Amino acid sequence: MAACACRHQSATGDGAKTFVLLLAAVLGAMREGSPRRAARALPAFERRVLERAVARGLRPHLRSAFPAGGPGEELEAAALEALLEAYLRGRLGPGERRAVTLLGCELCARCGARRPPALRLLCGRFAQLHAAAAGLPLARSRVLPGVLLRRDFAAYCPAGGRLRAVLVTRCLRPVLTGPGVECAVRSERQHRAALRWCGGRTEAVMEHLRSGGVRLLLSGVKQHEEVIFYAKLHGVSVVECLSSEEVALISEIAGISPYDPAGDSVQGEIAEAAVVTFCQPLLLGSQRYVHIGFSSAGAFQPHCLVLCAPVDAINEQHAATLHGAFTMLLQLFRAVDQECGAEGESQNSASGVGSGYSPATETRVVTESIACGSSQVSEHQLGACRGETAAQSSDLALQESERPDGTPPASAPGPHSKELSVCTDGADSAGTHKLPALCECPDGMNESHRRQQAVCSHRNYCTAVASTATLCEHLGVGKGPEKAGYGVTQSCPSSILEAGSVLPVGGYFEILLHYYIQHYAKQVQQSAVTVISNVVADALLSIPKALYGTERNGFTKFYLETTEALRKNQPLPVNEKGLESVYCKYQLVTSVLHCVTELLNIDLIIGVKRPLQKTEDKDSDDDF
Amino acid sequence: MSRLEAKKPSLFISEPLTTVSQPLSLLIAILKSCYGPAGRLKQLHNGVGGYVCLTSQSSAILGHLSVSHPVLKVLTASVQNHVSRFSDCGLFTAILCCSLIENFKNLNIASCTIIKISKHLLSLCTDYLKSKACGCQVSVDFSNLETLLCLVRSILTSKPACMLNKTEVDCLAVLIVKAFMYTVPCHPETKPVLGKCVTVPLKGKRVLDSTVIPGLLIETPEIQFAKPFSVKRTSSDAVKVVVFCVSMSGDLFDPEEGTVTVHHKISLEMSELDQLLNVGKQLVNDEVGLVVCQKVIHPSLKQYLKDNHIIAVDRAGLSVMEPLSQVTGSKPIASIYSLSPSCYGSLKDVRAESFASKHFVHLIPNDTTVCSLILCNRNETTWDELKRACETAEHVLQLTLKEPLALLGGGCTETHLASYLRQKTCCLSTSSSKDVECSPTQYQLITDAFCHSLESVACSLSHDGGEILTDMAYGHCWLVPSGFPSASNWSDLLSKCGCGINSSTKDLNWRHLQPLFGSSPIESCPKEPSGKVTDFMTLDCFAAKYNGLQVAVETANLILDLSCVIEDQN
Repeated sequence: MAACACRHQSATGDGAKTFVLLLAAVLGAMREGSPRRAARALPAFERRVLERAVARGLRPHLRSAFPAGGPGEELEAAALEALLEAYLRGRLGPGERRAVTLLGCELCARCGARRPPALRLLCGRFAQLHAAAAGLPLARSRVLPGVLLRRDFAAYCPAGGRLRAVLVTRCLRPVLTGPGVECAVRSERQHRAALRWCGGRTEAVMEHLRSGGVRLLLSGVKQHEEVIFYAKLHGVSVVECLSSEEVALISEIAGISPYDPAGDSVQGEIAEAAVVTFCQPLLLGSQRYVHIGFSSAGAFQPHCLVLCAPVDAINEQHAATLHGAFTMLLQLFRAVDQECGAEGESQNSASGVGSGYSPATETRVVTESIACGSSQVSEHQLGACRGETAAQSSDLALQESERPDGTPPASAPGPHSKELSVCTDGADSAGTHKLPALCECPDGMNESHRRQQAVCSHRNYCTAVASTATLCEHLGVGKGPEKAGYGVTQSCPSSILEAGSVLPVGGYFEILLHYYIQHYAKQVQQSAVTVISNVVADALLSIPKALYGTERNGFTKFYLETTEALRKNQPLPVNEKGLESVYCKYQLVTSVLHCVTELLNIDLIIGVKRPLQKTEDKDSDDDF
Repeated sequence: MSRLEAKKPSLFISEPLTTVSQPLSLLIAILKSCYGPAGRLKQLHNGVGGYVCLTSQSSAILGHLSVSHPVLKVLTASVQNHVSRFSDCGLFTAILCCSLIENFKNLNIASCTIIKISKHLLSLCTDYLKSKACGCQVSVDFSNLETLLCLVRSILTSKPACMLNKTEVDCLAVLIVKAFMYTVPCHPETKPVLGKCVTVPLKGKRVLDSTVIPGLLIETPEIQFAKPFSVKRTSSDAVKVVVFCVSMSGDLFDPEEGTVTVHHKISLEMSELDQLLNVGKQLVNDEVGLVVCQKVIHPSLKQYLKDNHIIAVDRAGLSVMEPLSQVTGSKPIASIYSLSPSCYGSLKDVRAESFASKHFVHLIPNDTTVCSLILCNRNETTWDELKRACETAEHVLQLTLKEPLALLGGGCTETHLASYLRQKTCCLSTSSSKDVECSPTQYQLITDAFCHSLESVACSLSHDGGEILTDMAYGHCWLVPSGFPSASNWSDLLSKCGCGINSSTKDLNWRHLQPLFGSSPIESCPKEPSGKVTDFMTLDCFAAKYNGLQVAVETANLILDLSCVIEDQN
């Protein structure tokens, strides 16, 4: 259980505590009845109840963290703050949370990390993009422009204004011998000449760098004393012994690769040089840092965070929390796409469960079952199909009942209602209209798909659509924020959850899911699925119970108010400013269910005395 | 094959604050008894024997003390971090933090309310301390040495383990300020970096023998130099200096991978020595007067240099390399295969000097920011304590240069802040308590506990049972000498307040500081002091106290928020 929770936490940056609570509640409720039967019914529940509950039930309540008329995938400043604040509320004390939230927001905004590419870099390189100083109050924490390297200058020659910097990953002084090389010395004079040549060569390289305007040398290795000496002589600052992560960060943000003075000639242009606006030493506590202002070559605007706290451990905690928060934010840009109800799918998901849960394979992309046509659907699938149509019409009814009063709920922003209307079209004309709508993308990719569709038999139709949807997803991701505005993903009606979906914190997701799981469970005839649905729906309530447990009758009041509003189709009574990512929450529920399946399928635990060997170990080959 | 050891289960301590009372009160007793000029000394030693440390400084005590309670570990780590950043006000931070925890713990109010309100109170304090109207803040004028001397004297007198009498304190304070003044560059626009003051230890001599000299002292064995000591000068009457950071021992130590094959009858060592002598020749030709090497110089080269009247100093060590290049303006040379004249530096003069039984080469520069403080004290223990005090004083002067402010010492800042807070919250409490969502009573209780903690720092200045008073006009702190009946006429007994700025008058309306819980606040804001900054005032470093206040409150809040401690025992 702990391993699953940690795996989930490291993938989504959020939800380890909720994971354990929910898992415990589900397992606790499953003690009665046959665990095997329950485990077998879980995939069906997920496909037929859970996904529909999220895709249809939850959708009108969702808000988007992306601004309505904005340029696509960019987090709104207010939404970012609300997400961070709510995230930190479960992790930091009341005295620190506000300050850390503001720091996180400032860092995101100044790095340009409200968009996915820069956020990905910030998240992946956060360890190098923050520094900690103990012995100071939290209020002294700052976001600084540029990058802090945990090194001191080996040589520091102050230089004002813009300058060039090169990155090297080997020593600039030539050596007489290398590994496996033998150097024969025939006379003392020769040896001295060789050493003198090494020195002269080092100076020549340094002179060349300096004449090319390079005033800063960033080295991934320790440089020879002579290199430092000549650097000082020529006014070049040197930072050496950079870690491989720091070297990678620099080459990533400045877009340069390591410089290598090739061969005997030290002529030629130095192409791989970064532009640096300032470079100076910085003292944080007893630790010396090198503070360098790189001008960015990409979407990421280099900024770093200096965290201050009375004790180091607190800084570590703040850093880990912010890192988790950025991981969570990164998940916000992902969407969940719908799975097909076709036959192959049940095997697919079963094998997926067997091989263990992995977050990357979790976003499976298939089309709606209605689009698949009816010819291939087996008898027991028909029931599901019928159920689905019924569900959709009831959904439409819901939609209609909202529209006449002319006040669509505040929680349904523009893109969503647009998508819903696409959905209605699809339902009206039994899916055939949908394909052209999908293929409107003017890319060559889709051209090939049209051709492919033409040659495809009716039976392959479904898979063709499926792959188009997959492609749409990939295109949307690949193009990044520039083109997402015109809406590849938006015109793709097959997603369960759109990127950027958020809900207010405080158990609203769980209550809504509880309500809609019960709602959709009624439409499934299979008794095992109904049982599971009730178990999961009730288990979901354990989260708001834990949240409101401190107040007397807090939970009962909250539950009654919310369900009352849902029954009357009124907007939810929300007095919460904090937001949470629905993607993370949905991922949490599915990974809990996968963990449950795994656990329920275990029938024996065998303790072993020796450490388990990984199967890919080489010594297993020796047996043959 | 590795054997797996079963993991120990984690240790779970719930409600750590319930078990902390006893160790906390022990720690608070130790710290309070050290505070101030009359503080008691602590002897720290290991039962096995060896070094004995006699001190009253928080950095030494907390560094040697081993605390086992997890809550106290957080507290001491926090104070030590503060001290490593600011050198001063460690005991203030520690005592304030401990009292805050003790007083808040006894309130029985939800910790989140306490945290919110104490943060609010802290921001009132910090805003006040930074504001122009602040009554306990003194601006430091660097053209007037008196305030700087006051700052340094206050630091030295608050360290009783240095065993200094008044003349010694005055003498050392002047030396420290003088040394600091040497390190401030005359032309900051060209090089805005503070220089360095190198402390030279001389144990076993009188404190009054301490002195400050400009330039750098490098310790050497006596036998090295020819007598009479003379140095070769260039035509322009300066001494040319060259500094090597590479070894000149003639050993081949280049750790290159691969192998070097040497033919018969060829000696690379000889080759290396030849090169060293070549270097020596060039040094003679270039009229170099002094050669300093961080590492070892080959005896042959040393002799050659001596024969040519060049002073050679080797084994200088890494620590002097930076001040050495600051003093001489030379660049340390890293290769014996190329000597560039641009690396040479120059000095005004070089002399051989001896203090006590030690011999030094004294490098006298033309204009520099490097000086040497020869610090004497009677024995090892007191010297160590004095060294720590001098470092603190130097650091405090640097911090003051950055932010030219000081705070009134002698407990006056604490009592003044407390009376300011009481007065401020009295008129604010109803509106403020609404802002932080608590009842006015809770707000009042927490403010009282906060003020009481501040005052308890001032109270720890008295160690002999002498009474501590505060006046109603300025909110300053007054210490009654012990042994007087408490009902006597206070204005006769008292002459000056703790910081020495206010003199006693009849209308000051004193009262006891100790049982101030729930007392009525004064009617108006505490007044700014009547006196001027005088010669013998007690002043504290602003930056250190300001940070200490924030760190103490933040750490106390952190500790109050703990509901359980999970310790991994593996």
